[in-house]
Amino acid sequence: MTVTMTEKQSSGAGRPHVEVLVDRCAGCQECVVRCPVDALDMDVHRWVAVADDDRCVGCRQCVRTCPFSAITVSGPVLAGARLATDVTHPERLVGDLSEVRHGLRSWDDALAEAQRCLRCADPTCVRGCPAHNDIPGFISAIADQDLVKAHQVLRRTSVLPDICSRVCNQAAQCEGACTWSLAGEAPVAIGQLERFVADNYETPPPECSTTGELSVGVVGAGPGGIGAAWALVEGGASVTVYERDPEPGGLLGWGIPDFTLPGAVADRPWRQLQRAGVELRCGVEIDADGMERLLSSHDAVIVATGASVPARLAIPGADLDGVIDATTFLKTARSALQTTDLEAWLTAMDLDGLTQLGRLGHVLVLGAGNTAMDVARTARRMGLNATCVDWLDEQFALARPDELAEARDEGVTIRFASTVARIEGDGGRVRRALLVPTRQERADRLPKVLQRMAAEELEIDLVVMAMGYRADPALREALPGTPVRREARGVPDRRWVASGVLANPASAFAFHNPVGVLALGREVGLETASLPVRERLWVVGDALVGPATVVEAMAQGRRAATALLARRPSRRRFSVHSRRVLVCYASHGGRTAEVARLVGEELADKGLFVRVLPVDRVGTAELAETDILVVGSWVKGLVVAKVGPAPELRAWLGALPRLGGMPVALFCTFDVHPCSTLEEMGAALTARGARVVTASGLRRGGTKMSAIAFARRVLAGVRELEGTLSEPIGSS
Amino acid sequence: MAVELKDHQQLAPADPVSAAVHLGTARHEGLSERFGATDPEPGLELTRNARFARLVRNRKFQFLLIVPNQVVFWTVIFVGIAGTAIPGLNFGAAITWYVWFCLVFVMMVVVGRAWCAMCPFGGFAEWVQRRTFWRRTQKALGLGRKFPEPLARLGFLIPVASFLVLTWIEEFFNIAGPGNPADTSWMVVGIVSSALIFFLVFERRTFCRYVCPLTTLIGTVGSMGSVAGFRTKDREVCLSCQTKDCMRGGEQGYGCPWYTWPGSADSNLSCGLCSECYKACPEGNVGLFLQRPLTSVVAPRRRRADVAWGIVALWGLVVYQQFNATNAFASFDGWLNRNLHFPHYPNPVDYLAVIGLVALCTAGLIWLISRAVGRSAVTETQHGSFIDRTSRFRSFFVPMAYGLIPVVGADYFARQLPKFFKHSPRVVPAVLHIGGFSSTQSSLYGFHLLSNGWIVVVQVAIILAGTAASAWAMWRITSRELVPVSRNTVAIRLTTLGLVLASGAVAGVLYVLMHAAS
Repeated sequence: MTVTMTEKQSSGAGRPHVEVLVDRCAGCQECVVRCPVDALDMDVHRWVAVADDDRCVGCRQCVRTCPFSAITVSGPVLAGARLATDVTHPERLVGDLSEVRHGLRSWDDALAEAQRCLRCADPTCVRGCPAHNDIPGFISAIADQDLVKAHQVLRRTSVLPDICSRVCNQAAQCEGACTWSLAGEAPVAIGQLERFVADNYETPPPECSTTGELSVGVVGAGPGGIGAAWALVEGGASVTVYERDPEPGGLLGWGIPDFTLPGAVADRPWRQLQRAGVELRCGVEIDADGMERLLSSHDAVIVATGASVPARLAIPGADLDGVIDATTFLKTARSALQTTDLEAWLTAMDLDGLTQLGRLGHVLVLGAGNTAMDVARTARRMGLNATCVDWLDEQFALARPDELAEARDEGVTIRFASTVARIEGDGGRVRRALLVPTRQERADRLPKVLQRMAAEELEIDLVVMAMGYRADPALREALPGTPVRREARGVPDRRWVASGVLANPASAFAFHNPVGVLALGREVGLETASLPVRERLWVVGDALVGPATVVEAMAQGRRAATALLARRPSRRRFSVHSRRVLVCYASHGGRTAEVARLVGEELADKGLFVRVLPVDRVGTAELAETDILVVGSWVKGLVVAKVGPAPELRAWLGALPRLGGMPVALFCTFDVHPCSTLEEMGAALTARGARVVTASGLRRGGTKMSAIAFARRVLAGVRELEGTLSEPIGSS
Repeated sequence: MAVELKDHQQLAPADPVSAAVHLGTARHEGLSERFGATDPEPGLELTRNARFARLVRNRKFQFLLIVPNQVVFWTVIFVGIAGTAIPGLNFGAAITWYVWFCLVFVMMVVVGRAWCAMCPFGGFAEWVQRRTFWRRTQKALGLGRKFPEPLARLGFLIPVASFLVLTWIEEFFNIAGPGNPADTSWMVVGIVSSALIFFLVFERRTFCRYVCPLTTLIGTVGSMGSVAGFRTKDREVCLSCQTKDCMRGGEQGYGCPWYTWPGSADSNLSCGLCSECYKACPEGNVGLFLQRPLTSVVAPRRRRADVAWGIVALWGLVVYQQFNATNAFASFDGWLNRNLHFPHYPNPVDYLAVIGLVALCTAGLIWLISRAVGRSAVTETQHGSFIDRTSRFRSFFVPMAYGLIPVVGADYFARQLPKFFKHSPRVVPAVLHIGGFSSTQSSLYGFHLLSNGWIVVVQVAIILAGTAASAWAMWRITSRELVPVSRNTVAIRLTTLGLVLASGAVAGVLYVLMHAAS
């Protein structure tokens, strides 16, 4: 492949130099198979890697992926200069809703930027993208000047390329995980290239094949609902979407101002979905009882209600007039800006008198995240001064770095490392706020409020609490297992480790958190979304993982819809559609593993799709591809004392996600007596929402016959669970 | 294990990450040439036995190996300091110098790095580093630094240097004599402390791989052993593996602490027999294999210069340890000390001079051989690493040094025998003396397993066996590696054989002289 370099870099002060520590190089070829420029090869006689400095571009991918740290690269990183895109600074901010950020100007720019992509063999950017877009794939298509193909590549994982390319924080996602970025250089402008594709060729509508056999209700018309509805309608389901607001789009509609996401772009998905036959019912509030009604009228329900309850700071004065939340501010201000009736809005906010006094109103925005930036920048367009206050240190700021820069450019004052101790008012109306400094030393630690330091008084006219959103507590109570803690338990997927994305140092653009660790956390949410939280009910987006991003919600919606389509649940009867069996076991001496293998073979003989895995290799991803789960354990204990399931199985059961009514069969192998081993296993699985269809203790001796008999009981148990079936499983 | 997938992929949603990953193909050229001679036969896999496999897979396997030695060596430390000052009656000194060193050599020759698997020094430090006795933890204690590359490039030479320093200290303070038992304890404390510091500063078993005084000796002499170590069962599986859990660590096992990949191991030189790769491999593609004796001396295609220089340096040290027992050396060392105002034996000048002279003479002889019979057309690379650089001299020196391993190993072993045959029975009264039940009047205290004359006979016999093994190994090495780079086949065969016989003769004659001196 060709990599372009600037003339200065190619002829300048040195090239990268690769040093292979031959004492430690084991010739595993992890570097050889990953090097994007074929600069590494094998000396087959010595069986060590050898490097060609003339080819090396200094990306350090080999350094990150070498399991024994046997490679070092010195010298420059030969990444060409990233193209800068325009940002409009409106000369007259008031009332101006035009988009601030612009895309790449021309095909020449797009091709030049596309050429910077190394087309890495193990693209870390794909892991960094919450939707796992095939980034090298679509950039290759751009390089071939084939936008149709670029859309096809993106469509495999995303239905919102035009929106995500505008609202994603690429620095903490794909671009933060770009090989160039991990090497300390400017990453490929992935977001800009994605936007170039979306802006220059219309995003294709859903390829619907509605058959109506499967009826699915989707609650919420935000990005999670869009992702789910899109995949469902393409999968042939009949989809009805219920939205509380009068307009669909959720946060995309009212939460993100037009100067970041123009209304025409935000509306595009719903125009296409409605044309594809998705039934949209707006103004419908679904509470916990309503959820039960939906489940009785649809085969399955996907909840994508998002996090719409604004977080509030409980400080003295928070109940004064003139203290509002971000939702109220953004919704009303958006409406006022669209109708150009700013005066009425100022009057409604009791700010109209200030103009007559010859000064601009001053809005204090609590928070300096992306929502706060939207509020402050909108306030500037309403003709107000805006100050954002955040107790985080700026180096750990939650807002996009470019968003911060743009806000400051527009005259927003942003004060990090300080917080509001008290709001004071006159006549019940806010007038001033007392600010105290804070100190934060690490990203994973909350800041300390420095109470002893002198408080600073700030004159204000309006306070907007913009510290993000929380999921509706009432709904969360009705949805067991949410929100999910986004922590990868145990050992992460070894392929993630092998890619080197987890080994990178902290990126200055990713809140000083390693982008790989952030990405792995998102992966937990994505995998969990594929499992129902209860029978026939999936939850995605912010309702599942807490406040997150547009692209995460969309990806989770698609993932849940795909899992739903594979399972094909029915409201009329319990059914096991795909017949995928996972036999997992905890084995000590090999006997339990042997039983698991025999059970698996017997079930496979009956025409089921069977995998047999030790429990340490079974995570959410494996469970998501399972319709019937068989769990086996050896019995730990001293004859009859302290008898129970294997410790590793106990740990595994404790970490299980919700199983949403999955049929589960249990077995244990024992010598003396299993005591309550099976009951303990059954209780743990039932608590996770599984249905135990059979449980057997298998004594030493007669293993094969016992295993076969158990496998048959599994089939019988599932048949019984299913009731009458036109085509019983195992009959083929 | 997948019993049957039956188009399972069609049912599962395609993993978008896997779809975007297009890893290149691993190089397969020359695999049979490179590993054909060193790959153990499948029938020699010990872990085919289900019970043994279960034992090795158990995470407590290495812990159970380490614990008895841990108990012994903490007892050594305690008793050495707090116990009797009579060396032969002090458990710490007696077990260490009469029995332990000899047993370690037996284990080396038979198994390889068996001692490393059960070593209480590295084992203790590793427990601290891993924050567990046997579990697989994900977060290590300490800084986890990489060993500095300029030092790592020296391979096994730093351990040789540390062995020379430790041996000099041991001779200077007469620790192994044994002298004051407390000195033995402080030496052990020093080793444990050094290990602990290295384990807390650096990652994995950096200490064992790059610093431990015994690692080069155990690695080289151990390569005569019949245990091949943990190796791949199917190299194709390893080459296509995308996770390399055996190197990075997986759910059940740590990444190899010794920086060895079972997929490319061609000798047991750097396999610490810790079984972590066996536990970590998700494919069950790693096994513990036996091999024919001397395979790791004769067969590896890749020879290392650091190992070769280490062998001749170790050869120099053991010759010194024989030479220092002669009357001539005692006179010379005394004269040197008087003139250099050094307090007493061993004078560091003659210590290093004798070792250096023997090592350089051996290398010099090989240089002469290379000049005399070597082809001038041998490819020379001056830009490679110290370990792998090639030249006409190196193409003779490195393989021939490997061929000397058996005679060097035999010499070290023979050197330990007098203490074992004369004093090992003292361990029994030393053990009893901990409880106050024994004294120097015990019949076992003065009991010798062999008389001095018979000990020399056994020593010379061991040297003869070592020389014979070396001759066989050198013959095989010559046939495969030296004949192709020599002008005269008969000459190279005779000169290499001559080098082995001369080495054996030096060692054997010195034992006779030592006996005469005593």
